[in-house]
Amino acid sequence: MELLLQTLLNGMLSAGVYALVASGLALAVGVVGIVNFAHGEFLMIGAFISYLLFASRGIDPLVSLGVAAVAVFLIGAITYYGLIRPVLSAPELNQMLLTFGLSVLLQNLALLLFGADTRVVSPPYQGSTLSLGGLSFGGVPLAAFVLSVLILLGLYWFLGRTRLGLAVRAVAQNRLAPGLLGIETQRVYLLAFGLSAALAGVAGVMLSVMLYASPTVGFAFTLKAFAIVVMAGLGNLRGVLWAALILALAEALVSTYVPGGGGWVEAVFFLVIFGTLTWRSWRRA
Amino acid sequence: MRLVLVILGLVLIFPALPLGRWQAFTLDTAQFAFIATALALSWDLLARTGQLSLAQGAFFGLGAYAAGLSAGVLGTIPALLVGAGVAAASSLLLGAATLRLQGIYFAIATLAFSEVVRTLVLKAGFTGGATGLPVAPAFGGGWALGGYYLAAAVLILSVLTSLWVGHSRLSYAQAATRQGEATARVLGVPVVRVKLVSFLLSSALAGLAGGVYAMKALFLSPYDAFGLGRAVEALVIPIFGGLYTTLGPLLGGLLLVALETWLRLEIQDGYLVIYGLILILAILFMPRGLVGLFRPRAKPAQEEPRA
Amino acid sequence: MLRLRGVSKTFGGLRAVQGVSLEVQPGEILAVIGPNGAGKSTLLNLISGLLSADSGRIEFLGQDLTHAAPEVRAWRGLGRAFQIVQPFPEMSVRENLMVGALYGTPGTSVQAARKVVERVLELSGLAGKAQHPAGELSLLEDKRLELARALATQPKLLLLDEVMAGLRPAEAQDAVRLVRSIRDSGVSVLFIEHLMPVVRALADRVVVLDYGQVIAEGRYAEVAENPKVREAYLGRGA
Repeated sequence: MELLLQTLLNGMLSAGVYALVASGLALAVGVVGIVNFAHGEFLMIGAFISYLLFASRGIDPLVSLGVAAVAVFLIGAITYYGLIRPVLSAPELNQMLLTFGLSVLLQNLALLLFGADTRVVSPPYQGSTLSLGGLSFGGVPLAAFVLSVLILLGLYWFLGRTRLGLAVRAVAQNRLAPGLLGIETQRVYLLAFGLSAALAGVAGVMLSVMLYASPTVGFAFTLKAFAIVVMAGLGNLRGVLWAALILALAEALVSTYVPGGGGWVEAVFFLVIFGTLTWRSWRRA
Repeated sequence: MRLVLVILGLVLIFPALPLGRWQAFTLDTAQFAFIATALALSWDLLARTGQLSLAQGAFFGLGAYAAGLSAGVLGTIPALLVGAGVAAASSLLLGAATLRLQGIYFAIATLAFSEVVRTLVLKAGFTGGATGLPVAPAFGGGWALGGYYLAAAVLILSVLTSLWVGHSRLSYAQAATRQGEATARVLGVPVVRVKLVSFLLSSALAGLAGGVYAMKALFLSPYDAFGLGRAVEALVIPIFGGLYTTLGPLLGGLLLVALETWLRLEIQDGYLVIYGLILILAILFMPRGLVGLFRPRAKPAQEEPRA
Repeated sequence: MLRLRGVSKTFGGLRAVQGVSLEVQPGEILAVIGPNGAGKSTLLNLISGLLSADSGRIEFLGQDLTHAAPEVRAWRGLGRAFQIVQPFPEMSVRENLMVGALYGTPGTSVQAARKVVERVLELSGLAGKAQHPAGELSLLEDKRLELARALATQPKLLLLDEVMAGLRPAEAQDAVRLVRSIRDSGVSVLFIEHLMPVVRALADRVVVLDYGQVIAEGRYAEVAENPKVREAYLGRGA
């Protein structure tokens, strides 16, 4: 019983970061209409920013969060201007191939610069644990969960309560009408894509402590984010929370209860994607 | 078409050229180039229906493992056929489940499939798991140029298949499916069947290429055989050379693998950088690929908005 | 030859088509008219199989096609031209027609398909544009291509969705003549149209839809006098 509770708790805690990454992807998909295969690479950049700041200056990851958010937002904005905007009206195949190319490029640039090693950011509080009624929380995962929830609340507040946020939602709901209404669609796209990247970047900082920074760390998260976004329905932000929770719990359960579970955890996501997509395709047919 | 035949002719007489001490190296490189090009041609066969597959590496890996595991018992050629068969059979399974999906959904499903297959191969006992699988060389290593001609044969088979499909009635159905699926169906094109047939051909060739690769590399690991690098290579080559053509992937494959080989000598990790860069540049500036540069035909760059 | 019995389709809460029954006789030209949003295009999508009916039955030449896929309906002899023209833009005009000719009738050889295509090119006045990329045609040529491609499938019944929309009166007259000659070659026609002069000139019989239901049926003159029809058209505009 205690093992089960502990497992569910672990799953819930990792759901926070998953939701963060997937919400970013959902923004890019839902607002800009771009399926970004390089989403995980923004996360990877965030993780390396955190690592480099920590290794060279001893800067705490909590501070790096802000730095990474701004830096990756800018990188996202530049990506939008230079690469995404030119293919907005191109066939979907070209868009996918372009972001896929960006993913390959960034991943391998990082390999060139940093090598394939994994690097962990280890601030003094990294190993801290809290205990509560027989359950133990890792201090860092708990903090990451709380931060993720706060950032997501901020995102919902922004989308739901501010003028600009409403404009973003208007664009997401109808690609054509906002242009007619005079809202500058291009600016909204820029903002949404930058935000999308920044969310991944922030998650990257958290992962640099919880997991590690490495050139290929992002790719797994691109896939997980896709799994979540697809399960939620493309562009459905609220569904992302549920999907992230379900997937993280499934992952935790497999890792605890399936023999040799560690290696199968990855497969959980893919089976879920697979199942969801296949089920959808047949229901539609 | 003429250029395609010239290139194939060169492929056949290549070992007879006086390359001196470079011969072993160039023949080696050429084999990998042929295999990669065959894989690229196979990917293009499915791309003609508008489906973006990221599972080409998985079929390649399945073919490689199936051929590698059966080569000792069956001999070279039957083992290669087993490899192609396993890849084709698994494409039927994947296709039946996912070919109704379009665009991004299909791409993600194929990516998921690749990862699942790789996990299975890692976890299964008989594949050697993470340690890897040693493979016997083609024809028991008794024929020095055996591996070379095997790679050349797979390349030629892929080229001929690509040409044949491009000139058959299937090419109309593929292009129609790609350019307007609903319209194609109303005109009587059985799009699911068209996609399935294309998928089957595509994966069988990929599996065959994988088998030849296994006998050339002599050792398989899940990271290598199922690496995402395979899938990347398979799609960058046709895009660089010219999508939906035979000459495009053929030219693109030979050029890019030469480039890649040179880069690998210079840098260890990260040589795939060039693939990412080429992919981006090709999409932005050269959407019809190399072939498009030499054959400037008045074609609409983009669909105009219609009333 | 085509028979619909109580066909219905609901989107969300909206009943787009409700219990529609109608019949097309061999050699007949039937017009389906009605105000915007009356469910005409939905009806055509149900007949050609792009949508599947929630209930009711669709028979064609004595066979039940209610749940058949669009391609199967094409093979049985249902041809369809879209309102919003949808050429395959990267193919030439001739290649566009080849798709229809090769796949519209099962068992058509490539040679036979080529012959069909050349005949249709002549008939539709597109012979001069045969090699032209289909993505670069004028609106009139687009419309012709749309019609020609449907004809290339060698249909027994042709479904036309507002193929005259956007044409000038002289062009529309040409199109009317073309549709008549198609009928005279033995093909039945079911068409949706907004332009009343076209309906009057072409239709042997008219079915009027409103809110997804058939509210009147008969010759053009009878239907035009029907008070329900007048209300459906005029009542809302006023």
